Parts: sequence; structure tokens; C-alpha cells
Amino acid sequence: MSTAQAVSHFAISCEVNGTTVDRVVAVRQLLADFIREDLGLTGTHLGCEHGVCGACTVVLDGEAVRSCLALAVQADGRSITTIEGLSGDGLTSMQQAFRRAHALQCGFCTPGFIATLSVADPSDYHDEAGVRQLISGNLCRCTGYENIVAAVCEEWGIERS
Amino acid sequence: MPDWGDLVPRLFGARVERREDAALLTGQGRYVADIRLPGMLEATFVRSHVAHAELRRVDFSSALKAPGVVAAFAAADLTGVREFPDYISWQREVRQFPLQRDRVRYVGAPVAVVVASNRYEAEDAAELVEVDYAELPAVLSIEEALAPGAPRLFEEWPDNKVMDLPEHDPEVDRILASSPTVSGRYRMQRQAPCPMETRGVVAELVHGRLTVWSSQQSPHILRTTLATVLGIPESTIRVVTPDIGGGFGGKTHQYPEEVVVAWLAMRLRRPVRWIEDRAEHLVSAVQARDEMIVLEGSYAPDGSITALRAEVICDVGSGEIAMPGTCTSLVSAACLTAAWKIPHYATSVTCVVTNKTPSGAYRGFGAPEAVLAIERFISRVALTAGVDPIEARRKMILDPEDLPYMQPSGNRIDSGSHRAAFERAIELGQAALARRRQETAGDRVRLGLGYCQYVEPTVPSYFGTTGYWTAYDSSSISIHPDGGVRVSCGVAAIGQGTETTIAAVTADALQVPIEEVTVVVGDTDSCAYGLGSWGSRSAVVFTGSILRAAEIVRQKASKIAASLLEAAEPDVVMEEGRFHVRGSSTPAVGWADVATAACVRTIDLPDGVEPGLDASATYEPPNLDHRPDAEGRMNGAATWANGSHSGVVAVDLDTGGVRILDYIVVHDCGRVINPTIVEGQVHGAVAQGIAGALYEQIVHDSGGQPQTASFMDYLLPSATEVPRLVVEHFESPAPETPLGIKGVGEAGTIGPGAVIANAVSDALSELGVDITETPITNRSLLRAIAAAGASRRGASPEEPSGGDAAA
Ligand code: FES
Ligand code: FES
Repeated sequence: MSTAQAVSHFAISCEVNGTTVDRVVAVRQLLADFIREDLGLTGTHLGCEHGVCGACTVVLDGEAVRSCLALAVQADGRSITTIEGLSGDGLTSMQQAFRRAHALQCGFCTPGFIATLSVADPSDYHDEAGVRQLISGNLCRCTGYENIVAAVCEEWGIERS
Repeated sequence: MPDWGDLVPRLFGARVERREDAALLTGQGRYVADIRLPGMLEATFVRSHVAHAELRRVDFSSALKAPGVVAAFAAADLTGVREFPDYISWQREVRQFPLQRDRVRYVGAPVAVVVASNRYEAEDAAELVEVDYAELPAVLSIEEALAPGAPRLFEEWPDNKVMDLPEHDPEVDRILASSPTVSGRYRMQRQAPCPMETRGVVAELVHGRLTVWSSQQSPHILRTTLATVLGIPESTIRVVTPDIGGGFGGKTHQYPEEVVVAWLAMRLRRPVRWIEDRAEHLVSAVQARDEMIVLEGSYAPDGSITALRAEVICDVGSGEIAMPGTCTSLVSAACLTAAWKIPHYATSVTCVVTNKTPSGAYRGFGAPEAVLAIERFISRVALTAGVDPIEARRKMILDPEDLPYMQPSGNRIDSGSHRAAFERAIELGQAALARRRQETAGDRVRLGLGYCQYVEPTVPSYFGTTGYWTAYDSSSISIHPDGGVRVSCGVAAIGQGTETTIAAVTADALQVPIEEVTVVVGDTDSCAYGLGSWGSRSAVVFTGSILRAAEIVRQKASKIAASLLEAAEPDVVMEEGRFHVRGSSTPAVGWADVATAACVRTIDLPDGVEPGLDASATYEPPNLDHRPDAEGRMNGAATWANGSHSGVVAVDLDTGGVRILDYIVVHDCGRVINPTIVEGQVHGAVAQGIAGALYEQIVHDSGGQPQTASFMDYLLPSATEVPRLVVEHFESPAPETPLGIKGVGEAGTIGPGAVIANAVSDALSELGVDITETPITNRSLLRAIAAAGASRRGASPEEPSGGDAAA
């Protein structure tokens, strides 16, 4: 069965983790599925697929976005950084802080937190309440946030209240 | 009982860094949704959108013409598939087939499956499947299910009771009849375990062997179930549980989707993947709690309870789930008396089926419901007796000299710091309250202190809840020629740092650096049969079996080392992983020398020693019962952890809003393998308990349509809702488990419902508010405040207060 003349696919060109990627994608494909299924970058996770949990957070042109709420075609001409790109060779200092503070358990939410934090400016945050506000768009079911807050506060030199 | 013996542990009790983290932090974890196999198809389930109906017809004709569709199947097409086994003899048999056959009993019940080349196409086609339902009246609550003449879910039953265990204790009746009594009715709402990773299954058939990857807490039990339901030899099945994004009990069950996806791989001869979406998860993965507890007790003038009669009534949804949802209600009954000395106690347990998603295991497993009920009840008794509620509790709490303590239910509380932990939590809570009182509070804000005390049955009998398995687990250790160690265990890793703790215990048991230990879990081809991770059991059972396997390996290694050293075996000792003659550290041989002789230079083996350096062992915890005795008593757990929580809340009289200002946990899980991991478990569990106290609730409308099928409506708390958590440890070693350890995974969820209900009631005590239900929402609290006011004025004395049945 072929659908009428509607455009079903579209060629996009974007930069993913510093490499140019040219692909033809289904126009309805989610950015998250493009990243995971087409590019095999499975560090971006899907916890809700409706924009609440933040597990799918990636960096799009310097901003944290939910890749389950964006379409792959929207990445055309733009630059995406996923957890794989954020990580580099070893652990970043925020990742190390997470590790020291035991800020992850199952790790499913973790790439989303790291992505959100990667674009935040530490100088905007002066207390624990601000840090909690910052990460309140990322859900974690394992840690009760206690050690995530501890890791961020330690990394950014914020004294906990 | 396995123990260290002469070994000097270096990692046991230390804050060993998690080996899981480097991969998980960088997106290199491998969860089931990350698996993509050549030629893989994707499946989508067609689910009932009505709560109760006869299933007349499923029509695939349009769906099969949709782009990308490969096949579609309904129940009648599942050739060779059988019903799920139900081993429990003390409840009515629930006949469950992986796809619904002639009736649907909840919104979300799987009716058919569509397979296409990708998930988009499968979901499109699933929408085209036409299902003909003849709707039936739905039953949606305990009251509706028990009402005379209620519609029945199972025609072959006389009513909607799937389990009904009456209580009869003439002594309790006699005391209650002849003393002043207090009664109360308590309710905890329906919740969802909701791990951040939904369920998912990938299956393939290669060379006649079926491999099933699933987000599961019990890989071997899934293998056994698949063999039974698919009717194929268990030896041809391999179950792998890759990285798991949280389980919390919901993934201990064996689900229809696991069977169907496996069947699809066999039938279509192509790999098949199914990844649940969140909306599906919130209607089709097990839910929990949804329980009412009715208490009646007599009391002494000092406020202590002299006899207690309980009715535990649980709404288990449709009941169509392997490992039935009735299991948690029995644990509620066992946990009601916590660490209180209540000399006479009797309870009935009733589980009803309703047209809601099947319920089952969720962290806490019946205990949070029980502790909410008993804590609020004790306060009500104290108030009636005119005694300070903390003093009333002090009269009843277990002291060290009471231990081991046999409760009327048969629980044998083996050890613990019950009074000390309670006093410490009260002390910290009172100090926090005093501090908060210094800070300004508006005149429309009231502060309150709450607290609770609980025991947690850890390492439980599975027979008690499934009618089948017991409590044991297995471990195998191999030493390789390079001296490296591989340990495999029957427990599963579900995100709680299991590999790290297994590695630490193994490294200590063999005196090798932890880096030399490779851990394998979650693969039935590599691990001997075990029961998985649930029931706060893993640490105890893997430690027991690892210590036993390590001892066998060490003994054999000593023989080989003696021969290599040309010494007599009794003279050889092992220190820090080196074997040498007692009193002189040179010459010495290491694990690599011994394993080389054992595995590759067997020519060096002494006479009578066979090649190879490996051992497998099991550990079956002693001292627990798998069945009740003649009087109905049963000690269902190998060891009992305990804890006390306290907390300070601020209640806004105008909005009904509750803010948790302080939350304190004093926790005792015996000897601790890794304090960092234990604290993490407590934090996460407490947050889930807080979620239940204030936010999360599965709601259905009057027709049985779920109103909470997204994270917009089912409110998981974020970092701004969970307060800072203060955790202190006490360590009362379990006398009868390896190394004195107890389980820890669930304990933290048990306290918060009771603590926050106590704290809110305390804050509003001058108004006479007596919280009896969770969640405590703004709306329910405003209603409770109004009701308390009305009852003070003499009107509507009925409902003391309440939660919010339809928030
Ligand atoms: S998966 Fe995108 S926000 Fe949850
Ligand atoms: S670590 Fe499991 S969801 Fe955050």
C-alpha cells in the first residue's frame, strides 16, 4: 500500500558528537529513535516518551532538549551531542563526582542528568535548592536524588543546606 | 553457617567503589532496548481498552495489509502454548493464558500481538486491529467486589474472593469482649513500582535454542516458566537479563509478553523485540498496595495494646499474573505487629479481584500498608487512653533481652536494635522539630513530628508467596590459569550494585585483589539455578553460597600448593592470596601457579587431585518456615531487619499542602558489606515511600478507565519533592546468616507513609485530624480538616478523616 504524495522521508545533515552525519529519515521519526536506532548511540534512554522523565535528554546546539519530543528532521543543519559525545575518553569531572558520591544505581536516568548538567552554568547556582530546581526535570527512581544533589553540590562547590 | 574462618577480610564493610559506574555514566550500559539483532522484527501488543468484557472476535484483516506488517496473532493462534502455572493451593486457581481468550478483565490486558519491521509500523497496524467486545459491568474496589450480587470476574467462582483465610482465635475474642477497645480502618492506595526503564523482551531462536533477553529480576524462574508455558524443554532455553533499569519488585513476575515474544521468535524464525512504552507500563505492569486494614484492639491503662484483631483486605486487580498478587497481603498480616510486644494477635486475610491491572510485588511488599495501619492505630489507642503516644510506644517496643522474640504470628525476630533505633529516631526528630520551631512559621502553618518503627522480613521463603520455590541460591567460582577469578551467581543485578558487592565478598574469600574478580549474573547459561533478586535477599544468599564455594576452592588449592612447595598440606597457609609454609613467607606460590597446575600443567598435580580449580555451592537459609504450622504460625524470613524513621512536616492550613522539612532514618540491616550501597538503597526506598505518602496514586474512573497512564498524571517525585535524607546505621548482626548480614533493599519504603501520616496528624492534633489513608493530597487534607471541624461541632461523626480516593 502506498500513501499518496505526502513526503514520507527527508534527507538530513547534522553533526553528531563532532561528526557529520547525512541520512534519510522518516519524517515522523523521533530524534531519540534516530539517535538510538539509526546511529546506534544507545546511551540516550527512553523512560516515558512523553517529555516528563528527562532520560532522553541530549544537547542540541548547546541546549538540553528532550529527544523524545523532537523529530529527527528538526536536527537538520544542527549539532547534537549525546552522552557518548559528552563523555570523551574517560569520565568528565561531573561524571567522576557522580561516581564518588554514588549518584547512580541502575544508571538508566544518568545520561539524562549528565546532559542536563553539561549545559548548566555553575555560576547560576548558589545553593542546594537551586540545584534541586535545576535537576527537577530529570526523574530518578533509584537514588532519592540525595546523592545526585550531593555530587552536583560537591562538584560546584556549593555547601548543602 | 559460612563464615570468614581464618581469613582477614579487607573489603567487607568498606566503601568499595562501584564497578558498574564507568559504563553506566558514559552511556555504555546495555539494556534490553539496546539490543538489535540482524533481521529483527518488532512487536506491539493490542490491549483491551475496556475494563470488563466478553471478547467476541479479533479481526486482523486491515492490520495485515498495513505497511511493514509481518504477522498478527490472537490467543487462538498461539499453538502449543499453555496456561501459566498456578502453584498456590491456598487460593482459588486463576487460569491465565498469555493472550486473553474469551474475556478481558482490565484495561491494558493483552489481546493480540502485531509484528512488523519496526515499532512505528507495528503500532500503526495495531491500531487497525478490530476487537469486538461485549461490555460487562466493572468492579473497581474492595467494597464493590464484596457487595452482595456483585458482578463476578470469574464465572466459575461463587464470588470475587481469590483468597480468603479466616481468623479464629478464641483468646483474642475473649480479651476483646471483656476489655475497652479501639478500632480503626486504614487504607493505602494503589501504586506502580515504575522503574525508569519499562519492561522489554528480545528473543531469538538459533540452532533450536531459544534465547530470551528480558528486563527481569528472576532469570531462572522465567526460564522455568517459559519451558512450562511454551511446552519446550527447559534445557533449550537461555534467559539473559542485561543491565536492568530498576525493578522494585515489578519485574519479579513472569509476564505474558515474555511468553508471547519468545513464541513469536520460535514461530517466525526471526528475532523479535518488544519494548514497552510508559503508557503501557502504567496499565499492564503489576501495580501494588491497594489494601485496607481494619483493626480492633484492647489496651491497658498505660496505652499498650493487649490484644489485636486485624482484617487485611487487598484488591489484587484482575489477579491474572504469574506469582499471584495475593502474596503481599500475607506479609502485611505478618508485619502488622512490627517490633511491638502485642501478646495476642489474630488476623484474617482476604484478597478480592477487581477490573484493574493485576497487582503484585512492589518494594516493601505489604509492610508499608501494615506499618501505616498499626502506627496510626497505636496513636489512636494512646489518645483514647490519655497517654502520650511516644510513651505508649515505649511500653511495647522490643528490648534486647526479649530476643529472639516469637510473635503470635510466628515471626521469629532474631535480632535487632528495636528500642535503641526508635529512641535515636525520636531524639533526632525532636531536635529537628525544635530547630524548625525557631524558624518562623506563618500562623497558618502547623509543624508536626512523625515517627515509626518497623521490622522487615529479609531473605523470605518464596514458597510462602508462590507455592513453589524455597529461599536458596547458588554461586560458582572458577580460577583461571592466570590467577583471575570468575564468579557467577543465581541472583540478578537490577541496578543495586550487586556486581560490586559480589566481587568484594569473593575477593575477600579468596584473598585476591578485587580487580581480578569477574562477576557474571543474569545469564542462565552461565549461572547455576537461583531465584533472582527480590525480597531483600541477594546479599545474604550470594554471600552464603560464595563463602561455601570459595572454601572448596581454597581447600583444593592448598593441596596443590603443598605439592608445588614440596610441603605437607597441613603446614601450608594462605595469606593475602599467597600459599606458603606456616612461619615463613618464602617460598610461596600464588593463585596463578596453583591454577596453572590445576588447569593447564596438570602434570604438576599431586596424586589423587583431579584437574580443574572450580566449585559450585548453594546456600539455603536455615531457620525459616516455608509453610505455616498446625496453629497457622510461620516465620517466613531468614532474618529480620529493623528501623525507625522520623520526620518533621509543615502543613499549610489554607492549601492543605504538606512539606517535609526533615527526614531521618535510623536503620539496622545487620553487618553491612558496603555502607555506600546500603545508604543508596535506603535513600531510594525512602523516596518511593514519600512518593506513596504524598503523590503517587493509580486512579480509575467509574467505568474502570485508568486516569493515570502517563507521568503527567502519575506523579513521580522529583528532586524538589524529596527532602534531604539523614541516614544513621545501627549494626545488630544476624545470628544465623553468613557474616551476620541482613537484607536492605526494601526497608526504606516501609516507614514514610506512617511517618508522614503521624506527622500530619500531630501537626493538626488541635483540630482532631486523624489521618487514616494515603496519599495525603492537598484536597484530601482540606477535606479531613473540614471533617474534623464538623465532627467537633457534633455533625457527621463518621469519617474521622481520609485520603483521597479520586484525587
Ligand atoms: S523519554 Fe523523553 S522525557 Fe522521558
Ligand atoms: S539510577 Fe536508576 S533511575 Fe536513576
